[in-house]
Amino acid sequence: MDFIKMKTDDVFIEELEKRLENDGPFSTYDLFSLAYEAEQTKMVPSFSGLRSLDFLPHMEFLDHQLMTAKETIEKMNGRAILADEVGLGKTIEAGLILKEYMLRGLVNNALILVPASLVNQWVEELRQKFYIPAYSERKNHTWNPNAIIVSSLDTAKRPPHREKILENEYDFVIIDEAHKLKNEKTKNYQFVRQIKKKYCLLLTATPIQNDLMEIFNLIAILKPGHLGDMATFKQKYAGKSGKQQADAYLKRLIERVMIRNTREQTDLQPSNRIIETVWIDFTEKEREVYRQLENLPSIDDMFTKMTLLREICSSREACYLSLKNLQTTREANSEISKAMALIEGIAEHSKAKKTVELLKNIGDEKVIIFTEYRASQLYLQWYLQQHGITSVPFRGGFKRGKKDWMIQLFRDNAQVLIATEAGAEGINLQFCHHLINYDLPWNPMKIEQRIGRIHRFGQSNDVKIYNMGIKDTIEEHIIQVLTKKIRLFENVIGELDAILSELEIPDLEKEVETIYLESDSLGEAKIKIDHLMSIVENMADEEIVAGDAE
Amino acid sequence: MKGLDLEKFIIDFFHAYQCKVEKQDKGIIKVELTEELDKAIMNRPFYWHYMESTGQIGIPATLTLITDPTKRNGTGEYVDIGSPRIQQMFSLISKREKYTKLFQEIKTDINTPLYPWLLVNMKICYKGKQKKEELISLGVQLINGKVIVNMMDELEPLALKKHISDHCYTLSPIITLTSAYKRIEKIILDYVEKQPKEWARETMEIQREEIALLNQFYEDDPENAIYKKEKEELNQRFTPEISLEVVSGGIVYLRENFPEQLISSSGAT
Repeated sequence: MDFIKMKTDDVFIEELEKRLENDGPFSTYDLFSLAYEAEQTKMVPSFSGLRSLDFLPHMEFLDHQLMTAKETIEKMNGRAILADEVGLGKTIEAGLILKEYMLRGLVNNALILVPASLVNQWVEELRQKFYIPAYSERKNHTWNPNAIIVSSLDTAKRPPHREKILENEYDFVIIDEAHKLKNEKTKNYQFVRQIKKKYCLLLTATPIQNDLMEIFNLIAILKPGHLGDMATFKQKYAGKSGKQQADAYLKRLIERVMIRNTREQTDLQPSNRIIETVWIDFTEKEREVYRQLENLPSIDDMFTKMTLLREICSSREACYLSLKNLQTTREANSEISKAMALIEGIAEHSKAKKTVELLKNIGDEKVIIFTEYRASQLYLQWYLQQHGITSVPFRGGFKRGKKDWMIQLFRDNAQVLIATEAGAEGINLQFCHHLINYDLPWNPMKIEQRIGRIHRFGQSNDVKIYNMGIKDTIEEHIIQVLTKKIRLFENVIGELDAILSELEIPDLEKEVETIYLESDSLGEAKIKIDHLMSIVENMADEEIVAGDAE
Repeated sequence: MKGLDLEKFIIDFFHAYQCKVEKQDKGIIKVELTEELDKAIMNRPFYWHYMESTGQIGIPATLTLITDPTKRNGTGEYVDIGSPRIQQMFSLISKREKYTKLFQEIKTDINTPLYPWLLVNMKICYKGKQKKEELISLGVQLINGKVIVNMMDELEPLALKKHISDHCYTLSPIITLTSAYKRIEKIILDYVEKQPKEWARETMEIQREEIALLNQFYEDDPENAIYKKEKEELNQRFTPEISLEVVSGGIVYLRENFPEQLISSSGAT
């Protein structure tokens, strides 16, 4: 037994002798045997299994969640990337794992770093679902080293908090939305690497967004060396040659630290996604503005042009603001002034009008509207109000308290929530099952994040998604690419992850941007994009064939 | 694991602490706390401090605990085995009711000697990459050194009191407490020695592998601070350890025929 450390108890017998000398205090037999019974109840009789389930009789876990927790603890020894698709309950899995370790006495303190908007929700879920006495580190910032603390990464990484955290040793660290840590040069990443920890979970629905280096960096937080050292890894896997072969090996290694459940694999009866594209015709006046923008001779940069076109499809205000900015940065330009004058001549935006119709058809049910532009958000809010529809705005920049407040207002008092892109992350709105994509970003991951807000674990209704698109504009192109080529709304997003990383496309949105920047005309850009998307389409088909063959 | 009857546990708990307990309906228990218990579990020190400093008499709280899930929406606090309230009760008694000194209750007219026993309830923790626990209850008679296992079970049928019964007297121990305890410790260590040790070997194997990986990663940079940190973390997580902890124990004075009297008394009926 010499290889096992032994610890014995010397305190008990000394204390007993002392008490005998002082004639007490001693417990009655009733209490003494009751304490023994409690002790027996708390016992953890086996190395394996989830003892915590006995202490969570009010919870019903899904099979994939139990499997994930067991696997993380028993096979991965408590360090893993939990990469379930959005809405399958990563938080539940993480909570269960934490609970199990606490019950086994292996974890006494924990640091849980999540997006600011999720702090309260984490605290609440840990308390209610898992009886874990978590608290949010926000008011006095004591960073109590013996507690279960939930904080935002942004707060934690700043002095003086940073120093306090790095001083401490944590039994358990959870990082939610861990895809934000993919770049090893960022402050976030370096900070997290330095935290002293025993067990660690990284939660992300999109472990690979752009390229394989991202997964390398995530794994380096959990198990440095697991994928070799950085230089070798780069050499081997970041190049194009021999990639296929290397990937199979890499995949196996990754499987040892990452668990990814997909909707398809789980026995979760998913609510369906019903997608509808709502086509809108521009009025003659709007069409005139659109044409004017298309042909702005002084703008030779196609990306700027594309942006203006997307904006006018969203709202007059969004486009007007950009034009105004252009005017201040460039010399006075009559063409731009003309476009602005034309915009001022539009009374109301056709898309807003159509949206009101749609909302009236949906009736009393809650609807969330996503737009990329703040100006559109403001306009819509005003426009809906004019038509007697109550709405609340939501933005990523809101303080945590305000976010919670807005969601509560939406739930209790308003029919519509109008969110901008930044608002997509970290809010759960399962009580709503209608979503309007007022405009669509190029990046399919962003759209998946949007949908994930309502199409997630706990959603009992089918989810209806309306894509608003204006005919014969750039929007028609975007919708076509997303729905026909990438078949975004049908496919599992994970497949797309893999394809894009195989193609070494750093962020699809950036890729599109580059294409526009490098094109001499809108038509040229369109052809290039269609070409790119055909490749993606073909690869997706191949994947499906390969997948069937396995 | 022994299944715990939660409702019974709650009632016994508050009874034992002299609270007024009233079972309202199946699965609903109403308790009038004593001041002592209110202070221990209600977490309102400011109330008590205020009352005391203003010379007033505080009123202990009344709790309604619901154990039946079908009635959880009623007025009261729904509790199950994992809820903080029950865990708090567990940890309160584990902490407070650790030491005891008891006498077997005997109705007799003749002088009866009681033999001293040391009772030790020991928890063994096996900590590898995972953890397992075992609870062992042992007793040593302090006159002849006899040892019995499952002492708590043997005591269960007896009536045990804090004070000695009339006409009974205690014999003085021949074996000291410390050497009796050493003896128990040795028995447990021998037992532990005989247990399978795959868990520890497995854990060390993982430790070895992980450190090898880490070394490879930092081959060129052995002085790196993160390297040292990670290595320390691995050692912490994967060093197998067995620890003994006495969860409770004490001195129990029993009749000479303990534990055989169980058999003889049941044989008589």
